[in-house]
Amino acid sequence: MNDALALLWLPFAASIVLVGIHAYFGLRVIARGVIFVDLALAQIAALGATVAFMLGHAAQSQATLAWSLGFTLLAALLLASTRGLSARIPQEALIGVIYVVAAAASFLLVDKAPQGTEHIKQILTGNILTVGPGELLAIAPLYAAIGFLHWLTRARSAAGTSGRSGWAWDFFFFATFGVVVTSSVALAGVLLVFSFLIIPAAIGVLYADRPFVQLVIGWIAGAAASLAGLAASYAWDLPTGATMVCAFGVALACASVLRPLRSIAKLRAAASALRAILALCLAASGMWLALAPRADQPLLDSIESFAPALRASYLSDIERATYDEADVYSDRHRRQIERLNAMESASRWQGRELDDFEVRRISSFLQSYGEMRKGEEFVKREVRARARERTRWWLCATLVLLALLTYPEAVLRARRVLLPRAPR
Amino acid sequence: MRSAWIGPLFALSLFLAPAADAAGGARLRVVATTTDLQSLVEAVGGERVAASAIVPPGRDPEEYQPRPQDLSRLKDAALVVRVGVDYDLWLDRLLAQAGEPALERGGARYVDASFAIALLDVRGSAVGPGHPHGSGNPHYWLDPSNAEIITGTLLEALARIDAAGARYYERRRIAFLEQLAERERTWSRTLASLQGVPLIAYHNNWAYFARRFRLNFAGYIEAKPGVPPGPAHLAGLLAAMRSQGIRVIVRQPYEPERDTRFLAERSGARVVTLAASVGSVAQAGNYLSLLDHNVSALANGYAGPP
Repeated sequence: MNDALALLWLPFAASIVLVGIHAYFGLRVIARGVIFVDLALAQIAALGATVAFMLGHAAQSQATLAWSLGFTLLAALLLASTRGLSARIPQEALIGVIYVVAAAASFLLVDKAPQGTEHIKQILTGNILTVGPGELLAIAPLYAAIGFLHWLTRARSAAGTSGRSGWAWDFFFFATFGVVVTSSVALAGVLLVFSFLIIPAAIGVLYADRPFVQLVIGWIAGAAASLAGLAASYAWDLPTGATMVCAFGVALACASVLRPLRSIAKLRAAASALRAILALCLAASGMWLALAPRADQPLLDSIESFAPALRASYLSDIERATYDEADVYSDRHRRQIERLNAMESASRWQGRELDDFEVRRISSFLQSYGEMRKGEEFVKREVRARARERTRWWLCATLVLLALLTYPEAVLRARRVLLPRAPR
Repeated sequence: MRSAWIGPLFALSLFLAPAADAAGGARLRVVATTTDLQSLVEAVGGERVAASAIVPPGRDPEEYQPRPQDLSRLKDAALVVRVGVDYDLWLDRLLAQAGEPALERGGARYVDASFAIALLDVRGSAVGPGHPHGSGNPHYWLDPSNAEIITGTLLEALARIDAAGARYYERRRIAFLEQLAERERTWSRTLASLQGVPLIAYHNNWAYFARRFRLNFAGYIEAKPGVPPGPAHLAGLLAAMRSQGIRVIVRQPYEPERDTRFLAERSGARVVTLAASVGSVAQAGNYLSLLDHNVSALANGYAGPP
């Protein structure tokens, strides 16, 4: 537990800082309808850093920072000036063009340099798990300053959107946003920064009308989702960035589902819709099983992996014995493979050195065990497929019955459609 | 006595190779997939071959995307030499496009350098952590003893397509192996004190190197290739580093810097940059200097106060 805390408190603090500024920009971005502007700005900054890299500057140097900042400001200028076109072309289209051209241009540039692709990859795929205290101390005051600037100018930057002053406010918005995104993407990666930007803001918009309340709700939701994502990533040892993105996605899904909680009637409708979806899934998998018993059965397979007892219920005694035996052998082969591998790796540095002949013998044993294990896995699949084929009508009927029990209204509705009440 | 003058002569011949090429002699054009194989082809082929590598130095050969010029380079190649073991899979598509039956798998001008190598990390199927290559770990050139097998394969292929040079190739191979044996004694001496001392690497490039020099790679940052490490894995590594007193983390120049730096800062270990391929670092200009660099960089990583 202490290990977890020691490892996760810094990423959590970084998430809070990032959610803090991105939820605010997310609200503005959603209001303007320029959802993917962060990707375009990050890619432009990467292009600037690539130019610096090609000129021979080190990755973390002042010059590189200046180059990426310069490119970001140019992009902000471009985005602010193309507002005039937005009557004919949606601004999102221009943002997309900026993104793909910047990405392609940086690939063309680094094609000539060794380690170039790795360089671009490192700019765009930060890892929030390995954020250092120095990085956090560098961005926190910057974000605070930008947030404060926006707070000072909140009345005018939101209202004045026409004429020359409108252009200046647009530039101010895109330039500050570009600075934020450039630093956050290097820290947390493109995918996670996009989630930080859009999802807390979207949850805020779902639940409130006043901007400040939306922001506070977004902050709370973002902090909770970050915590859940980090915990899940630790508990199941998953890559942290990707897990957090999924946690944010789940948070948005939950928020949308729970939104009707605010009134009883809507809640009932939502519950009924949920039951209908569940019933549909059950009925559809029942019919799919009857139609193609040997194909993948997503629902049945996933329930079986959680509760193997279900499988035993439709296997005959002989089938069950065959299945269990294949399982035991498959596991035995797996352990043999692990044992041989461990033995060979240990012999690299301790005990007697294995000669090439012995290494080859171990390899051929490993391959044999691997093939034998594949054979046992095939037996397991085949036994299960045959049992499903044999019992498919029963299983199908059970699933359809379950579907009807989950959503009995279907019967009433069907009767109403098929047997319209005779007029009296 | 002999090896004393062969060494400088060999270095000189490598140095002069491009100049002779410009003169336009009838050299055999050998295309290797990686710079490591290119260097070994040059060691055997000398002035009779003009060797080139498809993957430029410092790139990850497993991630390489072929470009149009590679096709034209392959088309008039006298010999194509690949690493095999699923390392340069993209070559198969290129060869199919080149449409020269002699260059394709099993053809007279096709050489798989992994021939007769005792492969490590062979997994019968995708079980357990480590390398994704079911057919074995492909970084076999990092064991200098395997260079003897590789140059043997190369000698056989070169002598087959250029019988007039067979004697020449054989002489060069023997001279190269003598030089290698001498260096290997130095390398073994330098690394003798590190036998069994645990260290950590970013990616499992070092199985063969470890086996030859009896090094103990106790863990890898990248548990599954291409996937960033999860927190529990990192915590486990940190705990192992503390309990086993691990002082060195090995990374390649093209592997992410952040994750290695993070572990180094938390554990007080040193990051040592080793090159798995010729040309990944400036000092590793050919096969011998590649191993020279790796051995001395690793030894320096342990030198000085912990």
